[in-house]
Amino acid sequence: MVSERNPGVDGPLFKRALLGSLSWLSANHEEVNRLNVFPVPDGDTGTNMLLTLQSAVEDIKESDAAEVSKIAKLASHGSLMGARGNSGVILSQIFRGFARAVEGKSSLTPAELAGAFEEAANAAYRAVNKPTEGTILTVAREAGRAAAAAAASPGATVPRVIAAAADGARTAVLQTPSQLQILRDAGVVDAGGFGLQVILEGMLKTIEEVEPSNGALIMSKPSAPPASQVAVALPEEGWGYCTEFLIEGSDLDLDVIKNQIEALGNSVLVVGEPELVKVHVHTDDPTRVIALAGRHGKLLRLNVGDMSTQHRRILEDEGQVAKAPRPNGVGLVAVVAGRGLVDIFRGLGVDAIVEGGQTMNPSTQDMLTAIESLTYDEVVLLPNNKNVILAAKQVVGLTKKKVHVLETHSVPQGVAAVVAFRADRPGSENLAAMKAEIDRVHTIEVTHAVRDTRSNGLKVKKGDVIGLINDKLEFAGSDYGEVVNKALGKLGADSFELVTVYRGKDATDDELKKLESDIRSTHPGLEVEVQQGGQQHYPFILSVE
Amino acid sequence: MVTDSTADLPGDWRERYDIEVVPLKVIFGEETFRDGVDMNNQEFFARLATSTKLPTTSAPSPGEFAEVYERLAKDHDGCISIHIGAQLSATAESARVGAQSVEGFRVEVIDSETVTMPMAFLCKVAAESTHLDAAAAAVKQRIPGCRVLALLDTLRYIEMGGRVSRAQAMIGTMLDLKPLLLVKDREIKPVDRVRTRSRAIPRMIEFFESDMPVEYVGVMHAQAPEDANRVATGLRERHPDLEIPIGQIGCVLGTHTGPQALGLVYIKR
Repeated sequence: MVSERNPGVDGPLFKRALLGSLSWLSANHEEVNRLNVFPVPDGDTGTNMLLTLQSAVEDIKESDAAEVSKIAKLASHGSLMGARGNSGVILSQIFRGFARAVEGKSSLTPAELAGAFEEAANAAYRAVNKPTEGTILTVAREAGRAAAAAAASPGATVPRVIAAAADGARTAVLQTPSQLQILRDAGVVDAGGFGLQVILEGMLKTIEEVEPSNGALIMSKPSAPPASQVAVALPEEGWGYCTEFLIEGSDLDLDVIKNQIEALGNSVLVVGEPELVKVHVHTDDPTRVIALAGRHGKLLRLNVGDMSTQHRRILEDEGQVAKAPRPNGVGLVAVVAGRGLVDIFRGLGVDAIVEGGQTMNPSTQDMLTAIESLTYDEVVLLPNNKNVILAAKQVVGLTKKKVHVLETHSVPQGVAAVVAFRADRPGSENLAAMKAEIDRVHTIEVTHAVRDTRSNGLKVKKGDVIGLINDKLEFAGSDYGEVVNKALGKLGADSFELVTVYRGKDATDDELKKLESDIRSTHPGLEVEVQQGGQQHYPFILSVE
Repeated sequence: MVTDSTADLPGDWRERYDIEVVPLKVIFGEETFRDGVDMNNQEFFARLATSTKLPTTSAPSPGEFAEVYERLAKDHDGCISIHIGAQLSATAESARVGAQSVEGFRVEVIDSETVTMPMAFLCKVAAESTHLDAAAAAVKQRIPGCRVLALLDTLRYIEMGGRVSRAQAMIGTMLDLKPLLLVKDREIKPVDRVRTRSRAIPRMIEFFESDMPVEYVGVMHAQAPEDANRVATGLRERHPDLEIPIGQIGCVLGTHTGPQALGLVYIKR
């Protein structure tokens, strides 16, 4: 019953409530974005709902209608015109259902308000082609039910009905992971449902302030998403900041800039014109990136953002790769040393890494242990060094598992082989494809001679830079660039497309920079990509393909 | 006939088959552009190259669809409205909701489950039908055969857009691999991952030829006309019976593919 002491929802009150929702959602929409994994995990649910709500209140701001029906109609129309995204569309249907339920009414009793909430949820269900539980729909329905229960209890007031709706929404949101597998997997609650909860809470907050009641209704921040969402450690090597800016200058060399930036991070994007270049990189050292870029020209529109959200996504993905068993039932084991190279092989899907290489040859037992640790009965083993191949072959007789030793002599051969591996292709076909790749890629290894020697008709003094092509000592000199360019010349670099430089532990930034520019100036047709290998003994390993 | 801007209609199809195109939106920061209306693909990729923040995309609102349907209702009894796959965008849902508010006008909203030129082929199929029911049946029958085989120059754009993760593309690495992806049966699946573009293109053609026979085929590109021409010319030589239009990837799809993307799109027979 609406009376002076227990007022109903009229136009001005509903208007204030919606404006309250808008400001509360505006303050919390990033939180909603962070939860977004369903149906399309593009992290914009909060933004879409906010834009939809903004559009809903657009015309209301100017209206001084006394009737709740008029305000509701404006909200319905505005949200329909401005709806964005799945959650936005559903939200517009919630407004539509609400508006229909209150048609012709100037003010709502608590019971009528609850009825309108329920009708709003029904309308949303009807509008969606295939309603999915555990989403904003479920939350809308539960909010409506809770509101109806509150309205039916003695002493029901409008604030209590809205408080019950918000509570019902909150409870339903927390249950969404038990209804929708994808939420459970990601360890989140439903983003759209949470958005609706925020909207109802914003409404309550406003109504509370307008009409302070018995104080039993405590409004707090929206319930925080589960801890698993927030507490994700950065990977060891960081890439913690998404750094973006423009460089304004003249004769800017995109390739040079790209390679310099690549040495400092990943997800590198360098695009534009000689006068204006856009740079995007994920780095754990933005200061260094900025300092480096500043040498090329004037920096504009600098933007450095914390990437922890995206990190989480990538980390989860990597976890999923490891968890999902391969359809072909074939495991991969690689012998690698160097932190960067270990990451690269893992990232390509290798299941177990045996640390080792040139001077630290792993034992047969080490490789056997790695193979036995896998759940797969068929395993491809990549020695990635010619000194490891023999020990690797011994493994075959020591296990019941079917082990294929793919005779990769070098890191580039190992990478080429793993790239060609496909989880949906049976073992034998994979082996053939991987072998073909090994033969196609060429390896240049660059190091220093440890003693005076004569080899392959070449006189080498201790400390000289030496270059090996496919395991064979071919060139010696005093400079990395000189030796590498001779090696590329011998291979016939112009018939290749891509050189990948794996930078070793002992190579300095300046040495890397000089090597890159030496390769580019001598072989302008080659694409040069730099990766942090972190390997010992070889300042540079190059893959030519 | 209604579709949306992600159909990337080739050449004069819009006029030839009398198709209404409802634009999706591309959002750069605070600015919103209607795909193909306020911004064409040249302008888009130029802006993409110098924008510090990557753009986002959004579906047309139900109200925008309702406006189009109301306009058509003046001199038509109904329409067929073919849209980008619901796994990729809220557009079809928006169209369905928009259609509910127009009374006395029949709208057959179809979720194409695909994107880009296969949608255009479906429009053509519908346009060549004699009445609405026949058109809807002919279109629906072909949806399971729609394929988009896409070679991306980098995974970055599609990853940032949330449609495909590195893991889903079999690229959990810092190496700059070129993913070859297939849109089929409401899913985006990795077909292969390749180190260099020149080796990726033959892989793409090989995959396509193993998937023949096809009823329709086209080549799509984002700022890579030479590659698109080479692929189309090669295919025309080997399969002279096929008509192979070349199309350009629009702003909304381009947001997710990035520049230099190449697509072989077809409907299996």
